[in-house]
Amino acid sequence: MAEKENMSKGSDASTTMFCTSRGAASANGSVETKQCAESNGNKVILDTEPPTIPKRRQELLKWNGWGYKDSKFSLNKDGNVEFTGERYRLSGSVMPLLKDWMKSTVGISLDHKTPSQPEIPAANIPLPVKNDEFVAELRKTGIALSDDCQDRLFRSHGHTLHEIFTLREGMFERIPDLAAWPSCHNDVVKIVELAVKHNVVIIPFGGGTSVTSSLECPAWEKRMILSMDTSQMNHILWLDEKNLTVHVEGGIIGQDLERRLAERGFCTGHEPDSMEFSSLGGWVATRASGMKKNIYGNIEDLLVHVKFVTPRGVMEKSCQVPRMSAGPDIHHVIMGSEGTMGVVTEVTLKIRPLPPCKKYGSIVFPSFENGVNCLRDIAGQRCAPASIRLMDNEQFQFGSVLKPETKSLITSFLDGLKKFYVTKLKGFDPLKLAVATLLFEGTKEEVAALEKRVYEIAAQYGGIPGGADNGERGYMLTFVIAYLRDLAFDYYVVAESFETSVPWDRCLDLCQNVKERLHGECKDRGIQFPPYITCRVTQTYDTGACVYFYFGFNYRGIPNPVQVYEDIEGCARDEMLANGGSISHHHGVGKIRKQWLKKTVGDIGVGTMKAMKAYIDPQNIFANNNLMMGDHSKL
Amino acid sequence: MSEQSRNAWITKDDPKLVSSKHKDNFEDILEDRRHNSDLRYCSRTRDVPSFRLNKKRTPQQVKEHVLKSDRVQYAVEQVCVETQLPRTEVLTQAASIVDEMAHNLRLGAVRGFAYFLMKVLKQLYQRIYVNEEGVEKVRSLIQDYPVLIMPTHRSYMDFLLMSYVFYHYDLPLPVIAAAMDFMGMKFFGWLLRNCGAFYIRRSFGEDSLYWAVFTEYVQTQICNGDTPIEFYVEGTRSRTSKSYTPKFGMLSAALEPYFKSQVSDIMVIPVSISYDRVLEESLYAYELLGVPKPKESTSGLLKARKILEEDFGNIHITFGEPVSIRKFSDGKVDRSMHSLAPRYIVSLTQEEQSLIRTLGYHMVLVHQHNMVISPWSMVAAVLMQSQQGVTVRSLVHEVDWVKRLASNLGAYIDWPVNESAEAIIRHSLALHPNIVSVGSDDVVTLLQVSPPVAHGRSAQQQQIQQFAVMQNAAQHIMLSLYRNQAIHVFLRPAMVSLAINSCKEEELSLDLLYQKYVFLENVLCRDFVFIPGNTRKDFEHTLATLAHIGVVVVEAGAVVVKKSTNKTTAFLSHMFEPFLLGYWLMCQFLLSSRMQVAAKPLARTQKTLTREMQVLAARLIQEETIRHFEILSLDMANNCLHALFHMGGISKEKRDGVTYMYPNVAKLSTITEQLGTYTAVPPLPAVSINLNTKTVTVNAKL
Ligand SMILES: Cc1cc2nc3c(=O)[nH]c(=O)nc-3n(C[C@H](O)[C@H](O)[C@H](O)COP(=O)(O)OP(=O)(O)OC[C@H]3O[C@@H](n4cnc5c(N)ncnc54)[C@H](O)[C@@H]3O)c2cc1C
Repeated sequence: MAEKENMSKGSDASTTMFCTSRGAASANGSVETKQCAESNGNKVILDTEPPTIPKRRQELLKWNGWGYKDSKFSLNKDGNVEFTGERYRLSGSVMPLLKDWMKSTVGISLDHKTPSQPEIPAANIPLPVKNDEFVAELRKTGIALSDDCQDRLFRSHGHTLHEIFTLREGMFERIPDLAAWPSCHNDVVKIVELAVKHNVVIIPFGGGTSVTSSLECPAWEKRMILSMDTSQMNHILWLDEKNLTVHVEGGIIGQDLERRLAERGFCTGHEPDSMEFSSLGGWVATRASGMKKNIYGNIEDLLVHVKFVTPRGVMEKSCQVPRMSAGPDIHHVIMGSEGTMGVVTEVTLKIRPLPPCKKYGSIVFPSFENGVNCLRDIAGQRCAPASIRLMDNEQFQFGSVLKPETKSLITSFLDGLKKFYVTKLKGFDPLKLAVATLLFEGTKEEVAALEKRVYEIAAQYGGIPGGADNGERGYMLTFVIAYLRDLAFDYYVVAESFETSVPWDRCLDLCQNVKERLHGECKDRGIQFPPYITCRVTQTYDTGACVYFYFGFNYRGIPNPVQVYEDIEGCARDEMLANGGSISHHHGVGKIRKQWLKKTVGDIGVGTMKAMKAYIDPQNIFANNNLMMGDHSKL
Repeated sequence: MSEQSRNAWITKDDPKLVSSKHKDNFEDILEDRRHNSDLRYCSRTRDVPSFRLNKKRTPQQVKEHVLKSDRVQYAVEQVCVETQLPRTEVLTQAASIVDEMAHNLRLGAVRGFAYFLMKVLKQLYQRIYVNEEGVEKVRSLIQDYPVLIMPTHRSYMDFLLMSYVFYHYDLPLPVIAAAMDFMGMKFFGWLLRNCGAFYIRRSFGEDSLYWAVFTEYVQTQICNGDTPIEFYVEGTRSRTSKSYTPKFGMLSAALEPYFKSQVSDIMVIPVSISYDRVLEESLYAYELLGVPKPKESTSGLLKARKILEEDFGNIHITFGEPVSIRKFSDGKVDRSMHSLAPRYIVSLTQEEQSLIRTLGYHMVLVHQHNMVISPWSMVAAVLMQSQQGVTVRSLVHEVDWVKRLASNLGAYIDWPVNESAEAIIRHSLALHPNIVSVGSDDVVTLLQVSPPVAHGRSAQQQQIQQFAVMQNAAQHIMLSLYRNQAIHVFLRPAMVSLAINSCKEEELSLDLLYQKYVFLENVLCRDFVFIPGNTRKDFEHTLATLAHIGVVVVEAGAVVVKKSTNKTTAFLSHMFEPFLLGYWLMCQFLLSSRMQVAAKPLARTQKTLTREMQVLAARLIQEETIRHFEILSLDMANNCLHALFHMGGISKEKRDGVTYMYPNVAKLSTITEQLGTYTAVPPLPAVSINLNTKTVTVNAKL
C-alpha cells in the first residue's frame, strides 16, 4: 500500500480543536466493540456524540419499511388515517381526507389488505459463508463485528421497491455474511487489506437509503461477503473557519452533521430528502443532490477533499485547494463510484455560516406549463431561491389531503391567505393548477429582495403567491411520502419514485410523455385500477431541470406486481432517454439502471470505467455488481 | 311446451334475409337521412370527443403559433443570411405562406356544407356503408392520442366523404392536407378551407422557409392534438384505381413529433374507400391516354350536375386497425439520437426514415386488404380477357369462378348472399351503362366513349386522335380501372403463375421460381406496391397459398409444371399480360432508337419517350399486332421507365435542370429478353418515330 497515515493537518489558529476521549460503543450481544485500534494521538475530534442510529439499527428503525419504528401511517379506530409518533409536524395528526383519496385515486379497498410477513425467522435466513482465516485475522484487529442474522439481513438491502417487497413477502437469496463497524479510517484500511489477502467481498454500507439496489448482494457470489457499516465513523474531526471547511468521517448521517454544525453556527447546506438517514460517504458514492443546491451546491460542488480506501491503497489529493488543474479530477472517479472501487472514509466539505433568515413560500400557477416556463425564467435569471420545486396538479391535491381537516381542496389551500389573492385564486381550475414551493435563505434583506424578484417573475406567468404554509407543507410531503408507501403496501399497492434530468426545452414534453407512457403501459398490462402518477420539477439549473416522478398502482389481480412495476418503470426510463432525459439526476445507476449506462456514456465511456475498476480493484473485492460491472464478472 | 318452437325468438324466418341498413359489420349511414329532416340533422348539437391533452385553440392561434415557433424563426434567420433580405420581409413571406396554407375550420361552415353534401350524396349513391366498429375505435383513440387519418385516394369524393362520415358520427372534423389545385376554385376553395382543408404546394424541395412553415403547421396540430389530420399516403388521386406507391414527405412530417419525442405516440388509421362506380372514371381514362384534364373550376363542377342524374351505386368505407407508431417502431429506432441538438434543427435518422418508408408501404397494403371488392370489378377482369364479347350466361359462370378464387386469396367481396349470381351480375352491368351494354342476344359488349370536350385542340390531341384507335381505347382503359380495383388480390399469385407458365421444363426448382419472382417484382415495382425487403416472405406466403388451394403442385422442392399449368394460372397470367407486353414494347422501343447517335444512345426526356412509345403502341394496336389497349396508358409507360431505371436498364442525366434518359443497351437487352419469356410477344419490326412529323417509320429490314 502506498501510504497509510496521512491524517493530521497542522493546527491553525482558527481551527477548532476539541480533543476528547472516544466513548466506547456499548457492548451489545453478539456485537464486539473496541476503540479504534490506531492511537488517536494526533487525531482531532470535535465531538463525542454517539451516532443517532445505533449499531443494532433494527431496534430504532423498521426492518421492513421506511424510517423510525414509532412513526407510521395507520388506520385509527375511527377508520381514519393517522400519523403516529412525535417526531414530525405531522405526527399525531389525523388526515380525514387521505383514506378517501387513496380509495379514489388508486382504488384501494379497506377490505383487501396485504400485510407484511411478521418477521423473517432465522431459519429462513441463508447461512453465512465463512472464510475462517479472514475472520480470525479480523478479530485480532478488535474491530466490531457481528454475524447475527438480523444484523446481516438489515444490511442486505436499501429501499428499492423490490427490496422492501422482498422483506415483506419473501427472502433474499444472498445477504452479507458478516457485518463490521470500523470506527476510523485506519480500521477501514485494515479491513480492506485483509479482504484483499483472503479474497473476501466488501460492500460498504452507509445509511442504507439506496434506491438502486446498490446494496444487494449478487446472488451468485460464492466468496464471503462483508458489509462494512460506516455508521460508527461519525466524527467531525475539525472545522476550519478561515477556509470555511469541515473535515468529517464518512459515516456521519445528514441530520447529525447539520445538527452539530449548527451548534457551531454553520451548515453544509446539503439536504437530500433522505438526510435523516443517509451518510456523507453514501452521498459521495452516489453523487447525491440536496434540495438547497441552488445556494450550497450539489455534493460535487461541496467536496473539497476525500480519502478513499481502495484495494490498491488510499487514493487522495495532497492538498486541499478550491480548484486545481492536474489532469482529470480523481474526485470524479470517487464520486458516483457506488461502492465498486473503495470506501470513502474522510471528507472535507465546504461549510457556510447559518443563514439568519429562512422563509418558505409558494406560488400557484394556472397550469403546470406556466410553472415550468416560470422556473426556467427564474433559473435563467439566476435568481432561484435555495429551493424551488414545482408540483403538478396531482401532487398539489395529494398535499391537500394530508391536511388535518376536511375542507375542500381549494379552500384548505386558501386558509390564511390574503383576501386579494384568494379572489384571484378562485379563478383557477383546481384540477389544472400547479404549485411551486420555495425556500429562501440569507439575510433578511437578501430574502426580502429575492422574494420580491421571484414573485415578480412569477406574475408574468400568471403565478400568484400562495403563502408560506403551503410551501412548507410541500417540503414536508417529500419527507413523509416514504412513510406513506408502507401504508400503501398494506393495501395492494406497489409504488416507487424515480427521477431524471432534462434540458429545459424538453422538460414539459418529458413530463407529459412519461406520464402518458406510464398510463399506456399500465393499460396494456391489464392493470385494472387507475395508476397514481405524478411529477415535480425539483431542481433547476441554467440549462435544465431535475424531474422527479412518483408512480404506483393497485395490483389486485396481478400475480407478479414487482416484475410488472419494474417493466413499466423500464419503459418510463426508455421514454425519458428518448425525451432527452438522463439515466438519473441523483439516485444513481446501481443495479436497476445498468442496462442504460452504455447508452448514456457510450462504449468507450463504459470501457474507461471498467479499466479504472480493473486497475483499482483487480480482484474485484468491491463486488457489488453495480454500475459498469458486467454481470458475473470474473474475480 | 309445444307452442314454444325452436324459432320462437325469430321474427322473420328467412335465412336469406339481409337488412339493408346493416350488412356484415357495415352500416348504411344514408338510410336514416332518407327518412329524417336534413335540416335538423345539420343543426343538431354535436358532442364530440377531443384529445385529453389538447389546449383549445382557434385556427388563427395555430397560425400565430407557427410564426412564433422556434423552427420558423430559425428558418427565417437562415433565409435572411442567405438572401440578405431584411428580417421583416422574410417574416412577411413566412406569414403569407401560412395564410396560403392554413385551414379555417368552422363548425358553421361545416354544418352548411354537410347539408349540401348530404343532398348530393343521397342523389348520387344508393348506400354509404361504414364499418361502425372501426369508427368507434377512432372515437376512443381520439381522446388518448393524436390521430392521423390515412384514406385511399381514388376520387375527389374521398375527401368530402371522410368529413361527412366524421360529421355523421359526431367525431371532430379532420383537417385535410389538400393539393393547391383546389385553392384556385373560388367559392369551393374558400368553402373547403372553412371545412378544414389546408393547402400544400406540390413541390417545394429547396424552399427552406416553406418547408419550415409546413412542418411546424402540421406538427403543432399533431402535438396539441387539435383535430385528426387527414392526408393521402399515395400523394395524389390514383387515376388507375390501383394503389400508388406511397409518398413519404407528409408522412415523415406528421410522424416526426413522435421521433423527436414531442408526443408519446401517434395513431395512424388506414381507411379504405371502395366505390362501385368512380365519379371521375372517364376523366381518368382520358388522362391516362394523355388528354389533359380540364382544370378544376367551380363552373366545371357545376356542369358536372348532369352527373347527379346518374347512379353511382354503393360506397364502402372501412376504418382499418389503427397503427401505433410507438409499437410499429418499437426496438427499431432510438429516439434519443435527437438529444444532442435542438429538435427544430436535427433531421430524422436513417433508421427512422426507412421505418417511415416501411410504414408507408405497410399502410398501402392494409388499404388494399381492407378494400371491398365489387362484383363489377370481377366482371371487368373477365371482360378484359374476353374482348370478343361474351354472353351473360358464360359471364356469370366465369365471374362466379373468379369470385371463388379471389376469396380464396383473401379478398372481401361484396356479394349479397340473398341474390343469385346472375342477378348480381346483371345489376353490375346495369350500373355501368356507359361502359357495357347487353344486347338483345344477351351478349355483353363494350360501348364507345366520347372524349370530353377539350379546351383548344393541342397538337398533342390531334396527334392522338389521328388514330381512331384512341377512341376505342378509352372504354378499355375504363374497364381496366375496375379490374384494377381487385388486381392486388391476384398480383403475387399471378407472378408465381407467370413464372411457372414461362417454364419449358417438366419441373421448376423453387430457387429458379424465386429468381423469376424477384425479376417480376423488380419489373412491376412501380405499377404495384411491394414492401421493400419483404420479397422472400411474400413469395413463400404466396406459394403456400397457391399450394393450399391446389393451384400449384410442389413436389420434392420443385414445382411440377404440368400439374401447375391450369385454368387458374392461365387466368392469372393473362391478367398481367398487358403490363408485361407494354414493358416489353417500351424496351424494344428504347433499343430500336439506339442507332440514332453513334457513340451514345440518344438521350430524351421522359415525356418524349412516353409519347413516342404511345405513338408506336397505337400503331401496333391499329395493325392488330397487339390487342391490349392498356399499353397506350402513359401511366404504364412512366412506371415502366421508372422500373427500368431502378433495374439499371436506363440511365438518367440532368441537362439544364431537365432529366434526360438513355438506355444501357446491354442491361436493357437482357431485361427485354427476359420479359419476352413471360408472355407471347409479337414479331416486331424495328421502328423509328418522329413526333414532329407524327409519323411512324417501320423499318422492316432491321
Ligand atoms: C426517501 C428517500 C429520499 C431520498 N432523497 C434523496 C435526495 O434528495 N437526494 C439524493 O441525492 N438522494 C436521495 N435518496 C437516495 C439516497 O438517499 C442517496 O443515494 C444517498 O446518497 C445514499 O446514501 P446512504 O448513506 O444511505 O448510502 P447507502 O444506501 O448505504 O449506499 C449507497 C451506495 O453507496 C455505497 N456506499 C455507501 N457508503 C459508502 C462509503 N462510505 N464509501 C464508499 N461507498 C459507499 C454503497 O455501497 C452503495 O453502493 C433518497 C432515498 C430515499 C429512500
